[in-house]
Amino acid sequence: MLNILPILVVVASTHTVLPITVKTPELEINFMPRTPNQLGSFYEARGFPKAMRDLLSKQCFITVGILNTSKEKIWHDLSNWQFSVAGKPIKREHRDYWKKRWQDMAVPLSKQSTFRWTLIPETLDYLPDEHEGGNIILPFTDQPISLTATFLKGDNRQGKKITIQTDKLYCAEDPQ
Amino acid sequence: MKIPAKVFRLFILTLMLCMAGPSSADETVDTTGNEKVPFGIRDYDIGLAHNFTLHDVDGEKFELEKTRGRWVFLHFWASWCGPCREEMPAIQKLSDEIKSDKFQIVMINTAEDEDTIFEFLAALNVELSSLMDIDGMVTEVWKPRGLPTTFLISPKGEIRYQAIGGRDWGKTEYIDFVEHLIKSTD
Repeated sequence: MLNILPILVVVASTHTVLPITVKTPELEINFMPRTPNQLGSFYEARGFPKAMRDLLSKQCFITVGILNTSKEKIWHDLSNWQFSVAGKPIKREHRDYWKKRWQDMAVPLSKQSTFRWTLIPETLDYLPDEHEGGNIILPFTDQPISLTATFLKGDNRQGKKITIQTDKLYCAEDPQ
Repeated sequence: MKIPAKVFRLFILTLMLCMAGPSSADETVDTTGNEKVPFGIRDYDIGLAHNFTLHDVDGEKFELEKTRGRWVFLHFWASWCGPCREEMPAIQKLSDEIKSDKFQIVMINTAEDEDTIFEFLAALNVELSSLMDIDGMVTEVWKPRGLPTTFLISPKGEIRYQAIGGRDWGKTEYIDFVEHLIKSTD
């Protein structure tokens, strides 16, 4: 049976775009939306081609940090993260999608590699006290985004299922 | 007065135990004699390390296989990674503390150019050199969990441990651990 655990959502700012933290007894997950300007600066400083930066600046970037606060291994798998806007699912593109896009655009391998390392892994086992993170990329929307994500505990992913849920994710826009 | 042999042997044994006292090596082993693994380092016994050849920022060629006979501290990093920046001084301290020809620190920068690497290391005022994985392909093969990541490779070329994220390598527990690894293979 799916157990939806009590979730504490901490609102860290009162601005339009809010970094948020979702906590359960086993996990602490931070979501930090990034503006196109922040992303552009980061990638431009690392010599990313303009075409690549232009494409990325049209997406919704959210930096996610996950901390395992439990005493057991916890498995994260992005295929178990469902995003939606106004009740309709939105698709998070897999890193393989971006790999194909960059290959089609003949982006240098070094830039492709750096890009991949800025993404959160598709799957990862988090050891107790381990913190890892990275970006997720969604289609841009000015509406609030809902997320339901499930994680599995135990060495063989056969332990308790942990579900987190929030309706307070937003894409960040540059200040007018 | 003649001391019975049994009492004499007991006296000598007690004296030897008192003289031995605690040693730093004793503090880094558990009750089974194995290394006590410090926080943030996981056993990662996955077999032989993938060989690779890269050049460092001075143009010197490096081949992992040629490090056999030494423990290798293989560290993946990038200048844009905040924890990598924080960890560098600690790696420098580890390098300063461990003066052994049975230990080698090997840094691999992931997918950045020579100027970026040079400026980054110079700004941090560390004397560490780095290999350049310019196209990121060696990093892809090694698949670190994230950046930074450190692998500890045995003198036989086997991957034995993986450090998760940035660690304070200058702390006694990590230095003692590395020293114990070196001593255990002497």
